[in-house]
Amino acid sequence: MTGEPLELRRLERRDTDMELTYEDGTTFTISYDDLRHACPCAKCAPLRNEDETSMQLRRTIEAYPKQKPLVQTVGNYALSFEWESGCSSGIYRFERIWDLAHRRDPDRGRPYVHGAW
Amino acid sequence: MSDSPVSMHNPGNDAPAEAPAAPDPAAQKQMEQAYAQMKRKMAMAEIGKKIKHKIMVLSGKGGVGKSTVSTGLALVLAQQGHKVGILDIDITGPNVPKMMGLDGRKLHVEGGRIHPAQGHLGVKVISMAFLLEDEDTPVVWRGPIKLGAIQQFIGDVEWGDLDYLIIDFPPGTSDEPLTVAQSLPDIDGMVIVTTPQEVALLDSRKSISFASSLKVPVLGVVENMSGYTIQGKGTPGSEIEIAAPAGRTLQATCDDEGHFSVTLDIFKEGGGRSTAEEFGVPFLGALPFDPGFVRGGDDGVHRIVSEPEGASASAFSHVVASIQSQLDGASSSSLEII
Repeated sequence: MTGEPLELRRLERRDTDMELTYEDGTTFTISYDDLRHACPCAKCAPLRNEDETSMQLRRTIEAYPKQKPLVQTVGNYALSFEWESGCSSGIYRFERIWDLAHRRDPDRGRPYVHGAW
Repeated sequence: MSDSPVSMHNPGNDAPAEAPAAPDPAAQKQMEQAYAQMKRKMAMAEIGKKIKHKIMVLSGKGGVGKSTVSTGLALVLAQQGHKVGILDIDITGPNVPKMMGLDGRKLHVEGGRIHPAQGHLGVKVISMAFLLEDEDTPVVWRGPIKLGAIQQFIGDVEWGDLDYLIIDFPPGTSDEPLTVAQSLPDIDGMVIVTTPQEVALLDSRKSISFASSLKVPVLGVVENMSGYTIQGKGTPGSEIEIAAPAGRTLQATCDDEGHFSVTLDIFKEGGGRSTAEEFGVPFLGALPFDPGFVRGGDDGVHRIVSEPEGASASAFSHVVASIQSQLDGASSSSLEII
């Protein structure tokens, strides 16, 4: 089922990915590279509008040393990830994490428009 | 090199081979700011543990009585024997101190921590008003500076252990509630204050949607200035007619002692309840239109303090009971991050 996001109960940071466990016990993994490529911040998101800049962003992320991020909740609605290198600005809503866990485009094909949060 | 992120000085090294390069003041300042920010974040997380319940009080429209509701909730909770604080986040128009009899007070700062002032019934208060040189000075700040001030109000204040923290916001759904919702962990929910007229209700709906987008529960809607009760005396058993708004005529019958009372719905009626029903959130109750709040606010003696058994205090108690029943029933679910 990939409809309404379930409640995230557990997040285990592993060497190159994180394992998520939802309220119904199902588990998913998201690689850190995928997570960072889906950064919703105003600096990273516009880069995904075009294939070329999106691939460039991907290459930049893959070149970073593999590291576990510091994960913090943002209020009741999102997570933030702090990395030793690269961008740590993105606030990932739980819906976004749910989409990434289900291998769905969290931008839903919509190009980034500045200010349209 | 020193472990401290704020110091470049190494006292243990008496005879350096070369004179150390002078630290770049800009880099030093940046590091100090980053260190202060980190400390503040840790303090904010700590505050979440020391304060049992955190309640945000919002409205979409200005002038509906948010500060009146915030102070009223705080005082009723304090009357019940709880340890209560009010955080007045309305940076450009702070008026909680005046309502709490704390006009002209300054904050006490010790060991880098801000100590709140204590108002009626021992309620602790933090407000921008305490930092202003005089009350006519406007605070002209852009968003990022406001954000820093709010984080400082949360992270650098020595609240101690509290049962309830009531957070009073300026009208709207802008920087202030967003910053608090992001910074303060485990917020119990939002109380949306409205008045019954259509304009206020329209903005309240935005506040409810805002809460939903931040995944902060809406504890409910409070309808303020709900009705003004006129009391008078006439001949026992006689009929009284009163011209009400919208061309209506209200009728009342004097009782055996000649007393009558009629409630005028100055700003329509029932809008808060219907908005709550429309969005599927609880209706916490209606507060009467009480001129005593205006006088009490101006004099610094809150209506609930001056008339603890009055109709307004009773209406506030009802609202508080509704909130508490929800807090008691709330299930706490937390995310485990390892």
